[in-house]
Amino acid sequence: MADSIDRRDFFKGAALGAAGLVVTTEKTADAAAIPAPSPVTLPTSADAHDLAYAQAQSAATAPVRAVTTPGRPASDFMVDVIKKIGFEYAAVNPGSTFQGLHESLINYGKNTAPELLTCLHEEAAVAMAHGYAKAAGKPMLVAVHGTVGLLHSSMALFQAWADRVPVVLIVGHHRNPSGVINRPHSAQDMGLLVRSFVKFDDEATNLERFADAAMRAYKIAMTPPMGPVVLTVSAELQESMVTNEPRIPELVLPAPPQGEAAAVREAARLLVDAESPLIQIAKLGRTPKAWDLLIELAGTLQAPVDTMGYSSWQKFPSWHPLYGTGGRGYTPDVTLGLEVTDMSAQARAARANNRKTISISAEHLFQGSNIHDYGRYADVDLAIAADAEATLPSLIEEVRRQITPARKSAIEARGQRVAAAHKQAQMDGIREARHGWDASPVSVPRLIAELGDQIAKDDWAIVSGHQFTGDWQRRLLNHDKPYRYNGDCGGFGIGYDTPASVGGALAHKKNGRLSVAIVGDGDLNFSPGVLWTAAHHRIPLLFVVHNNRAYHAEVMIIQRMCGVRGRGNENAHIGNVIADPDPNYAQLAKAYGMYSEGPIEHPKDLAGAYQRALAKVRAGEPALIDVVSQPR
Amino acid sequence: MKLLAISAFALLAVSVSAQAPAPLAAATGNAQRGKAVFETTLRCFACHGYDGQTGSPRLVPMARAEDIFLAYVRKPATPGMPSFAAVPEQQLRDVYAYIRSIPQAAPAPDSVPLIKGILDRRAKAN
Repeated sequence: MADSIDRRDFFKGAALGAAGLVVTTEKTADAAAIPAPSPVTLPTSADAHDLAYAQAQSAATAPVRAVTTPGRPASDFMVDVIKKIGFEYAAVNPGSTFQGLHESLINYGKNTAPELLTCLHEEAAVAMAHGYAKAAGKPMLVAVHGTVGLLHSSMALFQAWADRVPVVLIVGHHRNPSGVINRPHSAQDMGLLVRSFVKFDDEATNLERFADAAMRAYKIAMTPPMGPVVLTVSAELQESMVTNEPRIPELVLPAPPQGEAAAVREAARLLVDAESPLIQIAKLGRTPKAWDLLIELAGTLQAPVDTMGYSSWQKFPSWHPLYGTGGRGYTPDVTLGLEVTDMSAQARAARANNRKTISISAEHLFQGSNIHDYGRYADVDLAIAADAEATLPSLIEEVRRQITPARKSAIEARGQRVAAAHKQAQMDGIREARHGWDASPVSVPRLIAELGDQIAKDDWAIVSGHQFTGDWQRRLLNHDKPYRYNGDCGGFGIGYDTPASVGGALAHKKNGRLSVAIVGDGDLNFSPGVLWTAAHHRIPLLFVVHNNRAYHAEVMIIQRMCGVRGRGNENAHIGNVIADPDPNYAQLAKAYGMYSEGPIEHPKDLAGAYQRALAKVRAGEPALIDVVSQPR
Repeated sequence: MKLLAISAFALLAVSVSAQAPAPLAAATGNAQRGKAVFETTLRCFACHGYDGQTGSPRLVPMARAEDIFLAYVRKPATPGMPSFAAVPEQQLRDVYAYIRSIPQAAPAPDSVPLIKGILDRRAKAN
């Protein structure tokens, strides 16, 4: 079928077609030396792609001639805009609808700032950008091809949306498509395809609008609450010539909003007067400053800090005396939520128990969404519509101002109690790792403890999420720097960890940090091609596959359903397990050009495998260790 | 969509090992048959680990007497645990025998150098 043509072949064919198109209208210095191909007449440039496909199918062998197009391509101007914004990288999966921009990025832009990252799936490209943004503190550019590329991107855009992470995506298409291939790649309203889960989308119809829209898109993406944005750019505009070059605006990011002074004073009063305050955090930590500020606030109040599980960026040290929920019997009378996306559960509990809740979040400024990620109405006592990180300095100052000597001694006494309870709980939590220590398949805590031992002297960063390894990472490894952990996917969808880890590792590369990722076998199978991207671009990263040979959460869910209905568990594996045959992920990695070992079933084999793989990573390569693991 | 359920299942856990230890009578079932049932028919390993130690809740050390165990798995008190009311009694007794055959004691934390090292570092952290 013509429409099932391989995309890369199509792209090559499109280049041939484009060359053939130009031949009919341009004269070149060497034209006389090269036999002219049969003249073709194309009513629009969009038809070039269909023609190219036809030529490729008929094994056309006409030589491609160098043709210089006079004037300045509009996509060169677009590259100037992109460079002015300051993107370091652009993740791409190629396609003809942005061939103009692609060519400008690699030739006019010299493939630097941004450097193109070749991705084998658009979901992987956006997920890489997602992981990169959290580690680097700024967005990566992503360029995708028409409707097909944007739809492939959509899942990862949803995750970035739910995680409040900035991604800037450019999608190409044709304003006036013709031909059987171009038409389905183009749309009347491209942004509509993903509008439920992006902060902003626009289509630039001329270069002045492109410059404006690009600056605006970046600014909106970076303004809390952050999120992905989409900019549609037609192939016609990219491939046109600049006639009247517009000025490129300056990029000025707005200072994030701080909490109103009277509200901050009231929040401080509630917290200082509280007998057992609790601080909860989720999407706090868009810059490393938040880490230090939160430690300062918690220390001033001697209040425990609850990092709230998988939806949180968890920007608080895991072995800190105030890390936890206060210990057994600690019942918060005031709960402070900092960028907690959904305060409704805390607020409802507080209402039911005559306690107080405070929410400081940029979420109050922006809660429109088709996705239920913002939860129920937050029935809190005090809501401050502001960026929590930007508000922390004034809140800390106000808390300090309001603490009396009498409160200070009570606060210090509370801190001692909380620290003692947390320390006991954390030590007990570490001791739990002994259960199943020598088990085969390998237990999750053994997998992590052995890894932690091997990277203890490195400046390490975990660039994967941890929703399928529980809290073992935070129990067994001291997360004592803000970059030790890069957060989870946001939308609780599989397929984020593997590509996002590559993006996170890329961000850490220039700082010389050792990146490691613990990814599930289920996750790896969604975008395995990103292993090649990591190998191709020499992104140092150790993948550890937590290979329980199943979508294990679903195994448990189905078994429970079988039990509820009294039909036995014999069939519960159907549709859930990834076995028979057992995929060999070490071989998969080798196929993509990556050092690998496995499958490793016995824990005694872990240390050596880690050592050999980490030697590769420290030398600048990615590596993968496939560990057959206990179900959970 | 592969939704996360681990934390939910943790909440559904039944703490068998938290009960007060008491001398238990020997199991009456066949541990070898019970292992097969544990792993393939009832698929207990999915939540509790292949050796009953790595999941939640852990099944070892087993604190329930055999008949109490049977009564529990036929009518579990927590919603996350499937009911095995329809399973033949002998299969349940075999599973109980298999669980009792698993070494009941985990190594002491201080006897595992890696764990001891982590504990030492945590102790020094603050």
